Amino acid sequence: MIYLDNSATTKPSISAINKASIFNTKHYFNPSTLYHEGLNCAKEIKNAKEAILNSLKTTSHEVIFTSSGTESDNMAVFCAVKRGVFVTSLGEHSAIYKSFLELKNRKLEVYFIDLEKDGSVNTDKLYELALNTKIDFLSLVHVNNETGAKNDVTKIAKRIKSINPSTIIHCDGVQAYGKIPFRLPQEIDLYSISAHKINGLKGTGALIKRKGLNISPLIFGGGQENGLRSGTENLFGIKVFEYALNEKFNNIENTYTLVKDTKEYFINNLDKSIFTIISGENSSPYILSVSAKGIRGEVLMHAIEKEGVIVGNGSACSSKNRYSRVIQACGYDNDVLDGVIRISFCTPLTNEEREKAVNVINEQANNLKGIML
Amino acid sequence: MKNAIIIRYCEIHLKGKNRGFFEKLLKENIIKSLKGIQHNFTQMHSRYLIEDFLDEDYDIIIEKLKKIAGIHTVSKAIVVPNDFDDIFTACKELCAYKKGTFKVQTNRADKTFTPDSMQTSMLIGGKLLETYPNNLKVDVKNPEFTIWIDIREDKKTFIYTDVINCMSGMPVGSSGKGLLLLSGGIDSPVAGYMMCKRGMKLNCLHFHSYPYTNEAAKEKVIDLAKKIAEYNGGINLYVVSFTKIQEEIHKNCPEEFMITLMRRFMMRIAERLANQQHDQTIITGESLGQVASQTIESITSSNSVVTLPVLRPLIAFDKIDIINISRKIDTYETSILPYEDCCTVFLPKFPAIKPNLEKVIKAESRLNVEKLIDDAFLNVEKYVF
Repeated sequence: MIYLDNSATTKPSISAINKASIFNTKHYFNPSTLYHEGLNCAKEIKNAKEAILNSLKTTSHEVIFTSSGTESDNMAVFCAVKRGVFVTSLGEHSAIYKSFLELKNRKLEVYFIDLEKDGSVNTDKLYELALNTKIDFLSLVHVNNETGAKNDVTKIAKRIKSINPSTIIHCDGVQAYGKIPFRLPQEIDLYSISAHKINGLKGTGALIKRKGLNISPLIFGGGQENGLRSGTENLFGIKVFEYALNEKFNNIENTYTLVKDTKEYFINNLDKSIFTIISGENSSPYILSVSAKGIRGEVLMHAIEKEGVIVGNGSACSSKNRYSRVIQACGYDNDVLDGVIRISFCTPLTNEEREKAVNVINEQANNLKGIML
Repeated sequence: MKNAIIIRYCEIHLKGKNRGFFEKLLKENIIKSLKGIQHNFTQMHSRYLIEDFLDEDYDIIIEKLKKIAGIHTVSKAIVVPNDFDDIFTACKELCAYKKGTFKVQTNRADKTFTPDSMQTSMLIGGKLLETYPNNLKVDVKNPEFTIWIDIREDKKTFIYTDVINCMSGMPVGSSGKGLLLLSGGIDSPVAGYMMCKRGMKLNCLHFHSYPYTNEAAKEKVIDLAKKIAEYNGGINLYVVSFTKIQEEIHKNCPEEFMITLMRRFMMRIAERLANQQHDQTIITGESLGQVASQTIESITSSNSVVTLPVLRPLIAFDKIDIINISRKIDTYETSILPYEDCCTVFLPKFPAIKPNLEKVIKAESRLNVEKLIDDAFLNVEKYVF
């Protein structure tokens, strides 16, 4: 099986799991307890936090562990700013998009900024809004999970802060973290990450918060994570996260280049008579979104799956949510939206793997084209 | 003083010489359904009794009984000896947390018991009022609750306040066997439920079109089959791949007849499968005029390829009524999961709403019907629930 749906999740690192298993078998103590073993567990969590901050090359932030990228996003949206003007883009993951719809339901002032054709936010429109309106909270995705479109969040954050230093800026880094080499600038107040997108486990995420920024909890209870995220810490998940990210960051630059190669191979070799490339030139090398003309994405995905290659589908067959909201916002028409599949990488493919994958995708698309057109 | 559940049946009363057959079948269905739950089952005159169960199992027993066709109502009762003081003590306990208007209704089969029914009701009612003067008030015409006292000949008295309505109908297995076409939509599970209610034992047939439909769609149908199984005392689900047939129709026949021809294939496959396992009828969830394939012309076209009777229990039901039943039987939320639409890949923009049978047969003549059906039978998946 060739697995090319790494934006959905990645294969957990066996070595990270093995290394962390001691926290299930021997050091299983509650990190909030005051006896020696408990304190030791608390120290282990502290180490994991340091590893995350080092990986983002920042000393001006701190880490709050959560259960997922979605929880981190929700915490950012609902817990940092209570009222005022909330701004995001049309190219966000549902965790942000739906949270903003909820803000709207609660009668707060909400703006969704349009996208460029490549899926990145239209910065002209964003800056125009910032100049005319006092933005209290801005959330922008670092790398979009469907198109791979990259926002230059550092540049945008600096510009927005120069217009209004009190704007709180959140960035959903789930698809960027551990993949795109990046230094987290202090202009970004909040940054969401998730372990299972970088070979960690599901159920572990984090919200990186600028030191000194006051936020309120989303979950109340025993006061863990400085009172900001109660609930006994998922020590095993956190340690797997730490070990997986260490593996990831050891090679981040090198992997980036090689995955870029892999993606280019796909772009060059997918059948041009069928496939339109949706991901822009400047997109993350880890995500390639394409559309097969006249073929429904999900049907193509199943056909490819039968041949041992797993890709993600951008358009489901159900009448509800049939089209990808994000790709629709890039301005494509229904014909293109119908045929979207997403190919996403974690590590570079071998030459045999990439040849096989491209052949299977081309063959199945051609077969279906014969039947469906 | 101990607890019991009284089970009453309905239409079986009307049966004559074969009444024993129906009673025995219902009894077997109940025993099968309660397998694994501690209880004691006894048959009394025109009713069944469940005793010696754990109090904590009461809710689960009632839920199970509610899904057995043929049971009309059930009541949780307190059982005491035929003794006035014992009866009063039980009534007192029953009313300890009740508030409102009530009446007492006594039925005295044990004619040796004194006082008589009317007096028992009056005396018990009076004593209850004395005991709970602040909470209870008598209203014999329109009471908020009734205390039923059933004094039986076998020296047992049952006392209860609630009568819970169940499924009614006839015991499953008393009305033959049928094959239900289960699509995954709202209607077909309801059609299956209605036939269970009339005592028919069901098998299910589902068509999937992988890769045009996905595995989630099949899982959804499996979930629905499991729900019907609860009313049917288990179920067999057969899944047949329809992909090749759809592709062939799409390639060779006029677009407008796509659905009409699909329905004809489905009926043929259903009949063959039904014959193989001695199902006596095919059941569909069709409702007249609901969609293009359910006009009388479309139904005529699909019906004309089979000789087995086709039962359509929902034919005259409005959608809203079907939805109400599907909510009641807990299939609605599963049915509306958005997975079924992949077949829409082949759906024509303008399907023939009133297909002309001659034209349909002509269009179909371009296909090797027998071969396609034979091929479909090569990979039939069977699930047993």
